[in-house]
Amino acid sequence: MKRRQRMLEELDQDLRAHIEIETRDNIERGMTPDEAHYEALRKFGNVRRVQEETREVWSRVWLEQLWQDVRYAARMLRKSPGFTAVAVLTLALGIGANTAIFSVVYAVLLRPLPYADPGQLVIIFQAKPQEQVPFTGINYVNFAECRTQSHAFAEMAANQAHQLTLTGVGEPSVLTTMVVTPEIFSLLEAQPLLGRTFLPEDGKRGATPVVILSENLWRSQFGSDPNLVGRSISLDKRLFTVVGIMPAGFHSLLLTAHEDIWIPIAQDPLFGPWMSRFSGHWLRVIGRLKPGVSLAQAQAEMDAMSAALAKEDPADNAGWQIRVAPLQENIVGESRPALLVLLAAVGLVLLIACVNIANLLLSRASSRAREIALRIALGAGRKRIVRQLLTESAVLGLLGGIAGIVLAYWGVHALSSLLPADLPRAQTIRVDGWVLGFALALSFVASFIFGLAPSFFAADSSLQRGLKESAGRSGESGGQRRARGFLAVAEIALAMVLLVAAGLLMRSFTMLTSVNPGFNAEHVVKADISLPQFQYSTPQQWSAFSDTLLERIHAEPGLQDSAMAAPLPLDEGNVNLGFEIVGNPPLPPNTAVTADFTSVSPDYFRVMEIPLLRGRLFNEQDSPSAPRVALISETFARRFFPNQDVLGKQLKFGFPPDGDVAREIVGVVGDVRDISLSEAPGPMMYVPFAQAPFWGGQLVVRSSLSSASAAVSIRKVTHDIDKDLPVTDIATLPETLDASVAQPRFRTLLIGLFGLIALLLAAVGIFGVISYSVSRRTHEIGIRVALGATPASVLRLILGESAKLVLLGLAVGIPVALGLARFLSSLLFEVHPADPLTFFGVAVLLTAVALIACYVPARRAMRVDPMVALRYE
Amino acid sequence: MSTKEQERRIELLQGTLDLLILRTLLLGPAHGHAIAKAIEFRSDDVLQVEQGSLYPALHRLIKRGWISSEEGTSENNRRAKFYRLTAKGRKQLALETSKWDKLAGAIAQILRPSEQEGKP
Repeated sequence: MKRRQRMLEELDQDLRAHIEIETRDNIERGMTPDEAHYEALRKFGNVRRVQEETREVWSRVWLEQLWQDVRYAARMLRKSPGFTAVAVLTLALGIGANTAIFSVVYAVLLRPLPYADPGQLVIIFQAKPQEQVPFTGINYVNFAECRTQSHAFAEMAANQAHQLTLTGVGEPSVLTTMVVTPEIFSLLEAQPLLGRTFLPEDGKRGATPVVILSENLWRSQFGSDPNLVGRSISLDKRLFTVVGIMPAGFHSLLLTAHEDIWIPIAQDPLFGPWMSRFSGHWLRVIGRLKPGVSLAQAQAEMDAMSAALAKEDPADNAGWQIRVAPLQENIVGESRPALLVLLAAVGLVLLIACVNIANLLLSRASSRAREIALRIALGAGRKRIVRQLLTESAVLGLLGGIAGIVLAYWGVHALSSLLPADLPRAQTIRVDGWVLGFALALSFVASFIFGLAPSFFAADSSLQRGLKESAGRSGESGGQRRARGFLAVAEIALAMVLLVAAGLLMRSFTMLTSVNPGFNAEHVVKADISLPQFQYSTPQQWSAFSDTLLERIHAEPGLQDSAMAAPLPLDEGNVNLGFEIVGNPPLPPNTAVTADFTSVSPDYFRVMEIPLLRGRLFNEQDSPSAPRVALISETFARRFFPNQDVLGKQLKFGFPPDGDVAREIVGVVGDVRDISLSEAPGPMMYVPFAQAPFWGGQLVVRSSLSSASAAVSIRKVTHDIDKDLPVTDIATLPETLDASVAQPRFRTLLIGLFGLIALLLAAVGIFGVISYSVSRRTHEIGIRVALGATPASVLRLILGESAKLVLLGLAVGIPVALGLARFLSSLLFEVHPADPLTFFGVAVLLTAVALIACYVPARRAMRVDPMVALRYE
Repeated sequence: MSTKEQERRIELLQGTLDLLILRTLLLGPAHGHAIAKAIEFRSDDVLQVEQGSLYPALHRLIKRGWISSEEGTSENNRRAKFYRLTAKGRKQLALETSKWDKLAGAIAQILRPSEQEGKP
């Protein structure tokens, strides 16, 4: 650059010397000094221009031309505001939707976990392939063994989630409690906002109960009291000393939207006693690999560990494998297919938008043929013209991108209210630098895609013709016409793919929501009631509480039909228990049979309208002192007692200390979908709440009262019994059912929306092609009409042209959609990916929309006045 | 159409001017005016170079590294810039010259038969 400057500075001197020498030469030839100088200047030419041209040699011509092109493009776009608005809007829609979806995909799937060196973090879990158990937790005994024996891990920690009741601060409230081993904080390299994290001593049994609060809880419940650390709070009626506050961004489990407090496992009323159990799989274990240790090495160590554990305690550990997997994959793995499908779908929307804009640009390019031909004639190179047109589409792309980003901000906001609550890491979704970069890159890629075709044709040699053509009918080459038809066909095919996806998901969602859950959710309200376990510590207390509660609820007007259940189907997950059929030969080891377990009060089946098929339901006589009884579901009876009379048979199952108690089957009830609506009902077994009580459960009430007034009554009755009892998650059962299908609803809604956009864009595309074709053929139509063509035959002509496009589009789209629908199969419920009804429906819909889209141009064609049309030329 | 041909001719001339400058400098370093004079003189005044157009061409050649410039004193004792052919420029000249010969030969071959065909 320095050289450039020096050269330019010296140029003046050089030029002056040149003219001086020439002047002197001229004087020597006999001119007067004035003449000589004038002649020298004449011969030299325009000094200013020479200076400019020389400067150009040194300047970055490319950049200057680019700036020129950008300004020219801006001028051209301003000149046709209608076109610009349509193109920018279409593009903004495409880029905005893509950016919004990408922000979700990025936050959930791609963004590294918010911990130091997230790549070293793994999850350690157990699996038992023989029994199709792919993933479950590890008990504390085995965890402690792994932690002390392993060399591959820098640290290992375990956690579990639970709920404790905070009292003494305003209304009693239920806190999401993370029950952890002390090392989890150092493992995640998390620093407290105030105070300290846990020390190894805090994790020992018999230590002083300590608790760490989340910043959110500290601010909302304790008014950000800086002196809270060191003081005590009451959790489930026991005092815990606050030792630290964790900053708001910290999560130890990442699955839940929020975590309120952390306590050591030993201090938890439920899980504390489990620490010495040799069986069970209840802890979620994470580890940090030592630097340089690979996943395979860690896995090899854990394989050896599994073998050693199985040898030590075959009864509990035989057949169980300890596995290691990257933590991030484990957290987001399940949401990946649905999110990728969403991303692909929204990508298709953008592609359709691009095709649409390409089509618009193409028709504009042909009306601009004269301008371009003129510029070529004036000496512009082909490359220069292509560059100029590409710059124009890049400017368009950038405008669309900016508008798209604005839309994406709004879209992300709208999305967050739609997002299913169980989507992991959803709380981190936002438009950040990565997302903006994506949007920007996308707008350039998009502008290249839609700018390519018109530029290609602009550089076509036939443009010379452009000058000769009359202004009214600018020339469009056959290639260009074919390209426009091709683009319209592509649009229809792409729209077909999206609409098929939308159709399949909608069909699947309809199937899912119309499936019979096995109970009648209408007019049922449920409420979670949880008893503080330090205060209510014995099964007798739990049972007594439930009896009192139901008695008082029954006495309330309008709440007569009520019952307790733990757990409620489709609500907080299922409890799966192994069982034994009394009298059957003992099963070979490692082949346990299991069924889902629910403990219910006698009225449960009546309230939920679950039918009794054989035998009897529970009644008041099934008390703790009476013989133990059980009910089984139809599937249970069919699977384990085929062609037998089940009544009177006995099953052994239950929670300790009742694990080995034989219970007589007194009846068979209808099947219930308890895990999810999409899963076929499995075997279920019920026991009377009185014979298997829990520390709370779900109250279900069938009532004609509004859910709000039912909620008020439930709260009042509960607080009359114990003012410190929290009543949470009051909702109607239809709401609970609704929440259970939040993920499928989310994707169905979005893909449906994308399908709609695709349909609209395709309609616009067809409209554009047909109306352009009609205006081009006005002359021809005029002749036809003059020769006696009826309006109907003109209509047929135009409809035929449109139908050809649609049929071609369908011919391409159907096989492509068939091929791609396979990828949806994991998201479909009782709908085949090649569902003929969906394909047929979509084809009909597209055809209908295409015909409607060409209605306006067709009408114009029918009204062509031959006199006007012929004079046109 | 005619404007377009004109454009081509200018382009052709530009490349040719570069070639002529390089050829002139083969005889030794020279300042701008001397180069212009030499081109006029050696082509028997057929090629009338607008003298000013020499300078953008000279700078283009400097930028490409085919010639270099140095301070010197002209005949009338004025400081002026002297341009000198570089080794790279020498190679380029050889290349361009052979290209030019080929082009001229090819054009001559095309033109001659076309003249004959043109006769009815």
